[in-house]
Amino acid sequence: MDIRQATIDDFLGMQNANLLNLPENYTFKYYLYHALTWPELSYVAVDPRGRIVGYILAKMEEEPTDEPSGHVTSISVLRPYRRLGLANRLMKQSQEAMVAHYNAAQITLHVRKSNRAAISLYRDSLGFEVHVMEKGYYADGEDAYGMRFLFKRKDEESKAST
Amino acid sequence: MSNIPKHRQLPDKENRLFKELLTQYEYKQYKKGLKAADTILKKFPNHGETIALKALTLHSSLPFPMTVAGLTKQEEAESLARLAVKKDITSHITWHVLGILAKTRKDWDEATRAFAMARKQDSENIPLMRDSIALYLHTRQFSQAVAARHQHLLLRPTLRSSWTSLIIAHHLNGDMTEGIEVYDQYLGIVKNDGATSSEKAQLLMHIITMCMEAGQWDDALRRLENGLKDGVLSTRGQVTQLKAEILMQLGRESESEDVWRALIEQNPDNLSYYDGFLRTKGYEIRKSVTLDSTSKIVSLLNSFAESYPKALAPRRMCLDIARGDEFRDLARAYLVNGLEKAIPSLFVDVKGLYVDLERMKIVGEIVEDLIQTLEKDAGLHDDDSKAPPTALLWAYYFLALHLAHPAHPNPSYDRSLQLLSTALKHTPTLPEIYMAEAMVRKRAGDILGAAKAMEEARLLDGQDRFLNCKAAKYWLRVGEVAKAEELTAMFTKKDIATSQDLTDLQCLWFLQEEGDSYRANGNLGMALKRYQSLATTFQDYEDDQYDFHTYCLRRMTFSAYYSLMKYEDQLRSHPAYFKASLAAINIYTRLHDDPSLKEEKLTAEEEAERKKAAKKAQKAEQKARKAAAATGEGKKEDQPVPDEDPQGSKLLKTETPLDEALKLWKPLELLASSRIETWTTGYQIYIRKKLYLAAFKCLLQAHDIDPRDPNLHWEIIHFKQTVSAVPDLAEPVKMTTDQLLPSLIPSDADLAAYNANLLSQHSSSPAHILGAAKGLSELDTTRPIPSSSLQAIESTLSRLAAHDVPPSVAIMSSALKLMKELGAPISSIDSLRDTYKSRVPLASVFESDEELKRRRREALEGEEVANGVKPDL
Repeated sequence: MDIRQATIDDFLGMQNANLLNLPENYTFKYYLYHALTWPELSYVAVDPRGRIVGYILAKMEEEPTDEPSGHVTSISVLRPYRRLGLANRLMKQSQEAMVAHYNAAQITLHVRKSNRAAISLYRDSLGFEVHVMEKGYYADGEDAYGMRFLFKRKDEESKAST
Repeated sequence: MSNIPKHRQLPDKENRLFKELLTQYEYKQYKKGLKAADTILKKFPNHGETIALKALTLHSSLPFPMTVAGLTKQEEAESLARLAVKKDITSHITWHVLGILAKTRKDWDEATRAFAMARKQDSENIPLMRDSIALYLHTRQFSQAVAARHQHLLLRPTLRSSWTSLIIAHHLNGDMTEGIEVYDQYLGIVKNDGATSSEKAQLLMHIITMCMEAGQWDDALRRLENGLKDGVLSTRGQVTQLKAEILMQLGRESESEDVWRALIEQNPDNLSYYDGFLRTKGYEIRKSVTLDSTSKIVSLLNSFAESYPKALAPRRMCLDIARGDEFRDLARAYLVNGLEKAIPSLFVDVKGLYVDLERMKIVGEIVEDLIQTLEKDAGLHDDDSKAPPTALLWAYYFLALHLAHPAHPNPSYDRSLQLLSTALKHTPTLPEIYMAEAMVRKRAGDILGAAKAMEEARLLDGQDRFLNCKAAKYWLRVGEVAKAEELTAMFTKKDIATSQDLTDLQCLWFLQEEGDSYRANGNLGMALKRYQSLATTFQDYEDDQYDFHTYCLRRMTFSAYYSLMKYEDQLRSHPAYFKASLAAINIYTRLHDDPSLKEEKLTAEEEAERKKAAKKAQKAEQKARKAAAATGEGKKEDQPVPDEDPQGSKLLKTETPLDEALKLWKPLELLASSRIETWTTGYQIYIRKKLYLAAFKCLLQAHDIDPRDPNLHWEIIHFKQTVSAVPDLAEPVKMTTDQLLPSLIPSDADLAAYNANLLSQHSSSPAHILGAAKGLSELDTTRPIPSSSLQAIESTLSRLAAHDVPPSVAIMSSALKLMKELGAPISSIDSLRDTYKSRVPLASVFESDEELKRRRREALEGEEVANGVKPDL
């Protein structure tokens, strides 16, 4: 599977994958809003026939702060393509792009409290931690965990190495 | 004051009211505004600008979602806006309001014209200018957009966006050089433009791509390197890729190689990076790889595999390149690794190789061999290590899917199912095994069994939407709309119908599959409704771009915006649009041929079901109304506008089915011209419209793509027969066909021999066998068709079951349909069906109607048992 930055013609395929896989869905315009505001941040996993089998839809928080924060709106890999490590790779590429292009200090995401598989993916293999619980975050009333991952800043890295 | 035309002047009191009206509109005090407008109009009923503002105020106060009462107000606003322009044709306000209303209606052409008229009256009005430019961009009137941008720059030369927007307007207008010049001027004039660093980067990136597009490679490289040096650009991702491509263009291969290496370091799973790297070495792997270069390429890729042990791409790419024994060794290692790690997606990953039958064969042999080894409980490596027990399970799973793959020359569905049932004994709770069973059964034509198996997979993990969607889709494939909707409803909004929610969410697969399901059930109205919803969704996708004409210029995401514009231009080339429109066109041509289809013919059973559904809907509506009444929103005119055509019967009763078909087809003519179905379908519309030249052009286009296409084949015969039977064929048509028809079919050709020739040349292709049978049915134009011709057709169609012909359930089904359409006696249809059944014994579609009904009941009841109480333990 090819892992690459999403281009405009990938977003319909992303919408399709999202509707097949997840309960949180968005109309196309919301995808366009991501694509046309932060074009570097969304990535796709593509099969040899050009079909989108996994994606990460990502953004930056809009309010300007000293500590820019990236956010994962949605990440998903179609069931038949799991266990290839695609989600991991998609996440890593998006994170690198957040740091390189927007100087991000951290990345956040929301996850359903009941979605244990996802929580363990974010925590155990991607290094996220729960930092807040948001009551009734989802349309059906379920609570969300706000999870985040702090990036090592370049200046800190260089400090650490000196 | 004096240059205000007389008809626009108002006395002081009304003039004051008019100004208040403007403020009230701005502060959204619509009720007050309407009152003020009416007061003015009482005395001055012909005051155009007041009428316009009344229209605008009314328009802005419309409810969302639209209600019954709102609709009336909307119509009033529209007619007031038109009246206002009539009363005051030189006012920028009246034209502006007309434009705003048209824009909301998404009538972009009218809006563009109205805004242009408004600007003529008030040429320095900046907000008006902005909207007008957005509309020019939206309707692709780029030279107009450039002109308006120029004017904007003259009026606001210190504004950053005046400059940047002009650059992009030039680019869209195809004038890169002018755009780049404006950029350089802008850098010289506007020193500190207040853009953030990422905005600066977006702009510079776009300028670099413009230089590249203009072929100014040195200039592109210079700007890029300066951008990196100044810290405006980051080396991550696209910038570096552009650099690698530019260096390649400049013939600096070894520098380009280093840059591609740096990209692979950033993302070792991006295939195009390897392609680029290999290009610097002279290998174009997507085009062709010579036999003697394969080992060299493989060793290059292998060195990356060693440097990036976690990367999947280089190892997987080796399999695409290697051949023969080298391929066998690499593939074995790849498969062993995947099976030992129990990766379910191993098959979907590897099946990409099956475009090459030789590689497919080797993969099959390896897996057979691995299974033999594993069954002996031996390890898969040279040492004494043992494979994990799951390896065998996944090997069974792999082989089952392999044997049923559509590219397999001798699919063996029985063995596939056997393997899966062995796997199930090993692990009875793995949804993947059931999914595989469903896939195998589907391929074998047992769509009922497939639905049942997919349902079982779903029941093992009810929280998984993917399984839910798949099961719903499989139920739709067997015509069980209600069952499918029961499933999809588990993941959609509870307060509206699941089909409505999925339509709102633009769920294309659902619209297509449910349309197909209705079509197969003979409910053509609902089928059209779903297909038309899908087409409307594409209109929404197109309209979605409107806001971004201004948004992107503010955010300075020029490259993304530019690609959006190019994307929207060819939006309807998307396969989803293609598929739905062909399906709908097929229904429209059938409606034209047989208008009686517009009257629904329901069986007693269906009628009862329909009544039940209607009752249910009525109850639900009553309940909703009661609930609404309780919250004080009960008045009928406050209700949201109901669906005007809930059963699709209005669509079905169209007076002009061929025009509807043509509307859907037109975008394909432009955007899917390389697909032969576009033309063979276009023929079906035009020949019915008796537009012989247009129909003939479709045949010529199709012939250019594939002269031996089976559908084209019988359409050519049909065309020849049709035009020769037209007594008063127009002279130009006659001339053109006389001149060009021989390029499709020799004018002296014996049509029967021509038809037989297709069959003998493609005797083992199911599609061509069907094409030849249709050809036969066109040769004899007598209706009802004489039994001698029918026999010839039947004997041709029976070839579909021959052992040297790969079995195709879909084509066999079409063959039976053709026999029915030709009015063949039941006995011969039944005997043909039995012939097919013996060739594909698993195919449920060839069972008798009673047997099908029984199995269907069983499948659904089986569900109820499975859904019901758990057995006592």
